[in-house]
Order: sequence, then C-alpha cells, then structure tokens
Amino acid sequence: MTRDPLIRAWGWLVALSLAGALITRAPDVTGLAVVILGLAFAKAWLILHHYLGLAGAPSWRRGFDMVVAGFCLLLAALALLA
Amino acid sequence: MSQRPDDPPGLLDELPGEVMMWVLIISELLVFGAGLVAFMAMRLTDPAGFAEAQAHLHRAGAALNTVVLVTSGLLAAWAVHAAEAGREARKRALLAGAMALGVVFLVIKGMEYADKASQGIGIETNTFFTFYYLLTGFHAAHVVAGVVLLGLVAVLRDPRATETGAAFWHMVDLVWVLLFPVIYLIR
Repeated sequence: MTRDPLIRAWGWLVALSLAGALITRAPDVTGLAVVILGLAFAKAWLILHHYLGLAGAPSWRRGFDMVVAGFCLLLAALALLA
Repeated sequence: MSQRPDDPPGLLDELPGEVMMWVLIISELLVFGAGLVAFMAMRLTDPAGFAEAQAHLHRAGAALNTVVLVTSGLLAAWAVHAAEAGREARKRALLAGAMALGVVFLVIKGMEYADKASQGIGIETNTFFTFYYLLTGFHAAHVVAGVVLLGLVAVLRDPRATETGAAFWHMVDLVWVLLFPVIYLIR
C-alpha cells in the first residue's frame, strides 16, 4: 500500500468512477440516484481534500463539505421526485 | 487595517494557494451548480423524455473521461510538489502529462459530439440536449482554458503560479465529477 496520499486518493477516485458507471447496469430501482450521488460526493470530497489541499485547512474543509453535501442532497431530492 | 507580523493567522491564510483562485473556484462551482439544479428541475417536467434522450449518451466514454481527468489531476498535484522542491524539469514533465490528458479528454468529448451530430442531435433537439450541450460545452471550454493555463505556469519558475494553475485544473476535475453522474448516470 502506497504512502503517497495523492496516489491513494487517485486510486479511490478511479474505483468510485468505475463503481458509478457499473452501478447503472443494475435494475432501475428507486434510490439508485442517491447511491450515484453519494459516490459523486465521495469523489468531490477526495478532490477537495487531497488534490486542492483542503485537508490542511479545517475550517474551509468543513464549509466545503457541508455545501457540497447539501448540493448532492438537493439533487438527490429532485431525482427522487421525478 | 494591516495585519501585524505577530497577529494570529486569519481564516484566509488557512487556504492553500491564491485567494483569488478560490474566489474563481467558488464562482464556477456556483454557476455549474445552478445549471445542474436547473437541469434536474426541468427533468421533473418530462422524466420519460429525459430518460429517452439520455439513452443516446455514451456512458462508457464519459466514464473513461472521468478516469482521464482524475489522472491528469494527480499529475498536476505532483507538479505542485515538484515545483515546491525546485525540481523544474520534473514539474514541466508532469504538467505536460496533465495537459496531454486534458487534450485526450477533449478528443473523447469531440468524438461524442460528432456521434451526436451524425444522429442529427443538436442543441435544439430537446430540453435535455440543450442542457447537455450547454453544461458539457461550458465545461469543455474550461478544459481548454486549463490546458492553456497549465502551459503558462509550466514555463514560470514560481511554485505559487504552479499551485494556482493546478488549483484551476482541480476545479475543472471537481465540476466534472459532479456533472458526469447528473447528466449521464441518473435515470
């Protein structure tokens, strides 16, 4: 296992991207959109924390986490309403 | 009021890189965020029509583009470390790699647009494709800008410039990982 947090973040990003694409092959069940948006939030979290360096800026990290999570929840609500 | 040397660091000092780049990042996220919320709101008016239109999209190509962009982001992040360590040749090589992957993203996107055009699908075909072209096209324009910016910071011997260019590139990455599932995956 690599010690470079950037490689670990990249590995997770690739894995989550493939998971997001593969999950759409599953039957179209209610709530699939929530899972897809959950994966999107996890990818955004990795980019903000590791690529953009917010891991070292706790106040900003919390703010961005809350806003992106709220945004994904809003999209999930709109997806479930359709 | 100016800050004295013994003052504790402020909230803005906590941010990595240039504050103005973060202002740009937040502005861009708000613009794309509004576009994606509008897309999902319009989907409520015609879920079947949106699902039918979405079936014309090439999910595998878009998923491949996600891997291309996040890999490009890794190279840009490494380039910042190389610049901070004063390793100019390594920094330039990593930024060249990041730019090359940005071009690969644009080529795949161009193939996708060409495929749509061959099917007679354009920006005025229906509401779904209006949003599709506006959002993905605006994002592709940011990829072009990012490639140019990475090229500019590659020739500057300034680690802050590299960090600023890489931050813009990561913003392009961040927008894509939110745009991709909304446009291509959610049925």
